[in-house]
Amino acid sequence: MNRFWALLFLLVPVMGVLTFAIAPYQGWWFPPDISEHGRTIDDLFFFILWLTGVVFVVTESALFYFMWKYDAKKNPAPVKYSHGSHTLEVVWTILPAVTLLFIAIYQMDAWAAAKMRKPNMAPTAEITGRQFNWDVRYPGPDKVLGTPDDLIRTDGDVHLPVGEEILLTITSQDVLHSFFLPNMRMKQDVVPGMDQSMWFKATETGEYDIVCAELCGWGHYKMKGRLTVQTREAFDKWLVESYAAQDAVTIAVATEEEN
Amino acid sequence: MIQTSKHRSLTITLFAAAAVGCGKTERPEFRLNMPEMVTAQIIPQHQQEIADTLAALFGTPDEPFALASTGLDVKKLRIAAGQVAGYEPGVKRGLYRQHCVHCHGINGDGHGPTAMILNPYPRDYRKGVFKFKSTYNPDRPANEDLYAVLHDGIPGTSMPAFALLPPDEIAALIEYVKYLSIRGQTETSLIGLVSQDLEYDPVTGVAAEGPEGKLDPANNADQRAVIDEMIAEIVEGWQAANDQRIVPEQQFQPVDTRSVAQIAESAEKGRVLFYGERANCVKCHGPTALGDGQQNDFDVWMKENVAFREATEKLPESIDTLEKELGELDGEAYEAAEQELSAKQNELIVREQVVETLFPVRNAIPRNMRLGVYRGGRRPVDFFWRIHQGIAGTPMPATGPASPGAQGTLTEEEMWNIVDYIRSVPFEPASRPQLRLVENTEQVN
Repeated sequence: MNRFWALLFLLVPVMGVLTFAIAPYQGWWFPPDISEHGRTIDDLFFFILWLTGVVFVVTESALFYFMWKYDAKKNPAPVKYSHGSHTLEVVWTILPAVTLLFIAIYQMDAWAAAKMRKPNMAPTAEITGRQFNWDVRYPGPDKVLGTPDDLIRTDGDVHLPVGEEILLTITSQDVLHSFFLPNMRMKQDVVPGMDQSMWFKATETGEYDIVCAELCGWGHYKMKGRLTVQTREAFDKWLVESYAAQDAVTIAVATEEEN
Repeated sequence: MIQTSKHRSLTITLFAAAAVGCGKTERPEFRLNMPEMVTAQIIPQHQQEIADTLAALFGTPDEPFALASTGLDVKKLRIAAGQVAGYEPGVKRGLYRQHCVHCHGINGDGHGPTAMILNPYPRDYRKGVFKFKSTYNPDRPANEDLYAVLHDGIPGTSMPAFALLPPDEIAALIEYVKYLSIRGQTETSLIGLVSQDLEYDPVTGVAAEGPEGKLDPANNADQRAVIDEMIAEIVEGWQAANDQRIVPEQQFQPVDTRSVAQIAESAEKGRVLFYGERANCVKCHGPTALGDGQQNDFDVWMKENVAFREATEKLPESIDTLEKELGELDGEAYEAAEQELSAKQNELIVREQVVETLFPVRNAIPRNMRLGVYRGGRRPVDFFWRIHQGIAGTPMPATGPASPGAQGTLTEEEMWNIVDYIRSVPFEPASRPQLRLVENTEQVN
């Protein structure tokens, strides 16, 4: 029982490392990356994870060591206070500062690619967040948003073609939302009255999650959608079908026999 | 010291028990439609009997039940009803409470916990009145209409889309909405039955002895027959709706080969109708189409609310008058008046309790046509239905025939002209204020 606290504190780094070690096998890790730029984001994440992970283990081990070594019961001699070491303090201030500065510079390219190098093209679609739904507007054949030939979908299912540069305009009708595509490694806060942009290239077809990542009201949890990435042919076919559905001037009514 | 620690552990135990509710969760129950009960002066004994009858006919929120004659699929109801079983995909139980209850309420009365902060208020299903549908104005909605609302949500409101749910779950929720609706309609009919057919004195609150004063369909074959007929009529309305959807006449349907000029010509005719006296859209939607015309009307749900409040507000005055008259009376007349006075005072207390549960009054605001946000869907056929049959429960009137074969105000061709005009309104220059700078993010960054 003597060194109970020291051992308890040792559990922090042990459990911490263990959690990360088993996470990938338990399905607690990242959702699959289906974007072209996602590799950069993930590499940055892993770089910082390893860097902070090593520092974390070293620091926690030192804490454990001191608690173990200077256990009150084993050290009856009174504590001697020192005034500290100027050199040591300078070193442990400068080292983290340099590391942080390095990270800040190292990530700049990824930031610029995601937030500043907006492709010079017409938006593929406009996403509008509202409490509590994601609405989508496609520009239609004239490639201009806000014209009578727009396709508007309110079912929260965003269809996009694979392997093409996508530019989304994102707005909000009411409050702050955040348009989050976990598989695309993309997240953008949405502010009412402002146009935000998001651009990426999807590398795989399939159905992926869209979630709201900014608490936007009581129904925040309801504000999920689906990102359907399709081949160009399938996407075009879906567009044609959706236009036809939107232009419906009548309905098919079951005949007597079908009843 | 020992005493204190004993006390403390007792307190902790009590707190823990209170926190978990002694291990029991409160079973949700259907509540009575009190505004209607009080308005119809149903006495407490009959309120209980109505509740019992409804429980026998429809079960409870945990164990819904439907007579075979309602045509409702009890299997589907059981998927939608009950407690939320889990949030993983594939868990098919408690869907209504997972997705709907916090707005639409356990009764489907639109009085869930988050309802009051929403604008518009969530729909109260109990009247069987639904706004966005393809059937005649007074009719129930078709299954497809409810499906469209669940699938695409209602843009411009807080109703989200549930398109991502598997089709069987959407079907179960539609069935449950119909169940709550039929249950609510039955409650209203039972209130009518009690106030018309049973003998009781609303002043004393006492029902007549014997079968004339008791709602007891289990032992009273006559009442049972009346109730069966009542439910059959309600169910018939729901089933008929599916067979009486409005299909636009082929010859007037706009073809997609129309030129821009042809559409513009049709829209111009629609504009004239919009401002003209026959269609008279301008009355409510306003000369600017911003929805700034007549705004002082209410929808049917709010009308009930307003009527209840007004009747309650008038009560103190009539109590005052009665009190004054009391001094001039004596003998039997005095006793009768005194009894009436105390009945009115009781009614005032009950009414004030009910008023506290009502939502603040809101007017029915006509839609702003310049926004391009359409609650009932944006397909041309959706617009056509809105113009043809109006919007049930709201001041928006029908311009088409009120029932199959009847004469309408406008011809279908004219309705399509209005559809073309309405669809062009958001693209008029007046509709396009520069709300935000196109590249404003660059300027901020």
